[in-house]
Amino acid sequence: MSDAPQDRNPMRAKPGSRGVFAGGPLQRLPAALKLSAALVIIVGTVLLPVDWIGCLAGEGLALMLAAVVSRIPFLILIRRLAMLLPFVFGVALAGMLNPGGGLDWRIIAAKSTLCLLTVILLSHTTPLGEVIRVLQRLRVPGLLVTTMALMHRYLFVLADEAGHMRRARASRTFTRGRRFAWSALATVLSRLFIRASERAERIYDAMCARGWK
Amino acid sequence: MHIPDGFIDAKTALVTTTLAAAGVGVALRQVRRELPPRRVPLLGLAAAFLFVAQMVNFPVAGGTSGHLIGGALVAVLLGPSAAVVVLTAVLIVQCLLFADGGLLALGANIFNMGLVATVSGYAVFHVVRRWLPGLRGQVAAMAFAGWCSTVLAAIGCAGQLAWSGTVAWPVAFTAMTGIHLLIGVGEGAISALVLLAIARTRPDLVGVAGPMQTPLKIRAFVGYGLAVILGLGWFVAPFACSWPDGLESVAIRLGFARHAATPLLNALAPDYRIPGITSPVIATAVAAAVGVVVVFGLAVLLSRALVREPRETAGAPASPS
Amino acid sequence: MNPAVEVTSLGYCYPDGTEALCGVSFSLMPGACVGLLGPNGSGKSTLLRHLNGLLPEKPPADGNVRIHGEAITAENLPSIRRRVGLLFQNPDDQLFCPTVEEDVAFGPRQLGLSEAAVAARVQTVLVQVGLAGQDRRATHHLSQGEKRRACLAGVLACEASILALDEPTSDLDPRGRREFKALLRQIDATKVIATHDLELVVELCARSIVLDHGRVVADGATLELLGNEELMLAHGLERPHILQHVHPHHPHEAH
Repeated sequence: MSDAPQDRNPMRAKPGSRGVFAGGPLQRLPAALKLSAALVIIVGTVLLPVDWIGCLAGEGLALMLAAVVSRIPFLILIRRLAMLLPFVFGVALAGMLNPGGGLDWRIIAAKSTLCLLTVILLSHTTPLGEVIRVLQRLRVPGLLVTTMALMHRYLFVLADEAGHMRRARASRTFTRGRRFAWSALATVLSRLFIRASERAERIYDAMCARGWK
Repeated sequence: MHIPDGFIDAKTALVTTTLAAAGVGVALRQVRRELPPRRVPLLGLAAAFLFVAQMVNFPVAGGTSGHLIGGALVAVLLGPSAAVVVLTAVLIVQCLLFADGGLLALGANIFNMGLVATVSGYAVFHVVRRWLPGLRGQVAAMAFAGWCSTVLAAIGCAGQLAWSGTVAWPVAFTAMTGIHLLIGVGEGAISALVLLAIARTRPDLVGVAGPMQTPLKIRAFVGYGLAVILGLGWFVAPFACSWPDGLESVAIRLGFARHAATPLLNALAPDYRIPGITSPVIATAVAAAVGVVVVFGLAVLLSRALVREPRETAGAPASPS
Repeated sequence: MNPAVEVTSLGYCYPDGTEALCGVSFSLMPGACVGLLGPNGSGKSTLLRHLNGLLPEKPPADGNVRIHGEAITAENLPSIRRRVGLLFQNPDDQLFCPTVEEDVAFGPRQLGLSEAAVAARVQTVLVQVGLAGQDRRATHHLSQGEKRRACLAGVLACEASILALDEPTSDLDPRGRREFKALLRQIDATKVIATHDLELVVELCARSIVLDHGRVVADGATLELLGNEELMLAHGLERPHILQHVHPHHPHEAH
């Protein structure tokens, strides 16, 4: 339990938490503006005709510049972009198997990279809490907003709990094998769900205790 | 299965977003009407739980790994409407916080994983559970529902990619379904194991008052069912008539000679040699049916291996009768 | 003057049949600070939950619990909950909003105050608990001591006049404990503190109530009760070290 959230040093971000990197001009813009700008950029990119390669290149440059200005570490960009690979790979393979059957995979890869870059810029310059507040102002139903806010709050708490459980289990496990991997995962998940639902009961009490209706 | 931006076009995004919004709207109304206030925080906690569960990869055969969708599991634990809300929250936060799944593709992702996976999983679970009694029946139903939900969500995803013109339908369908036939096994097994563990340690959570035992609300369910079938039909129907063709064309374009491709085709559609059936459409349907029966058998076997019931009802604390 | 809290022959059984409280009676005058002692499972938390109406599930008509003379009913439940602030055992359960500011503002918003009034109240209580300027921080990143203060701020923002605290120092390090104790001393509300931290009780509470198996087994001056080794040992407690070398008849030497 040594890495429980007793850490007084605010500079040490918790593992798995997505830091919003302070200090860029993008960070100071209002969240609503950034969200709508991201949506406009993405729609525009998707709709852009296939042969306007120059436009895509220019957009890429602008986005990279914005990433540099808002001080997003390069490594994070690369790691996030790597998530695209399976999809791009699949489409590329499909293109090879079935020439003429779909779009050129290079265009798709370029477009989705740009879109992903946009979302990464958004998520790393705008705290999720602010985005949720924007959604609330946009009249997204209250139940959904409440669910998202609670989820955002307890995400890392539960992730920490799961980590502790896995470590506790690993320290008492002496065999390795695929057969156990699934059941081990299932055990951790079932305990996690049980704890989550017990916590939900206590949170309900806490909400009632402060006048929730 | 989180579709990134750029892989689906504007018209597909528009249609999926509309469908998803309608489905989520119905779910929100149902939840507001039926969920006791005491369980409202549980939605947020279940969403956080699911988020963590989706981050964990599990090994699938052949060195690949998949991750849980969890739609069927959450639907069985919390009920279908609550599950739709939970999955929607998870997908929105994944998109905005982790850039996992595109912003424009959010509607498509909510449709596939939030609606198709949850609602189909819940429906399959309930139908199967009616046939198979006791805890064993629930475990088998969960395993089968997990598999079905994953495969159906993958088919929806393939349909959207094809309708956008990103990938040709035969390739999209074969690849997405093929991979998820396997990933679905993991999803089903893990969902069943989780359900079993919860039923053993906290039977009250899945007990008499839980959504697992409440009878299916026919009216709400017809609504969801229609939305899902309409949506799936929308994407898949234009291509459906060309299924067998598609499989063949993949094989031919792969450069395989006909005989070389037979094992592959046999694996995907073992019926090609079913004597007496000439229509390829019927043959494909038979193949699908055989595959489904095999997986169902596996689910029942899994439940028998996991749950020992000395007497018919003694080992089934969560069973109503 | 009405007592702030008046509990008369309160009993409670959990739905599974466990008897948690049985014939509990006591009363507190406004401004009192009382320690609630007893082994684990003695009913301390259950009793605290009765004080602000979280338990029983349906308010009874017989008025076993009266707050400022008012019996708890379904109608006055919201106002009772506002006036009796409950601090839960685990601060992570109580801080359910993503940022400190939102969490502290939760109670006032439920009261239907204007946004300006809410913001003003949030600032006031944050200064009071020593978290001024921390309002934008994520609750997940607070230290354990800061979480406790944020919880207290959330309760104070509802203008609670009675505080029911459940193990407020159990997960704090010595410095956090000292700081939290000093903070509690500054707040002039009626306080009921359920705890195993006997030094906290000695320092803050003139009076203590010992619960065991859901019954009040002792109620009196803290130093007398804690000095009674026989009583302490019989109910899973012990004489705190600071009293260890003090003769029970001269309790004031403990300071």
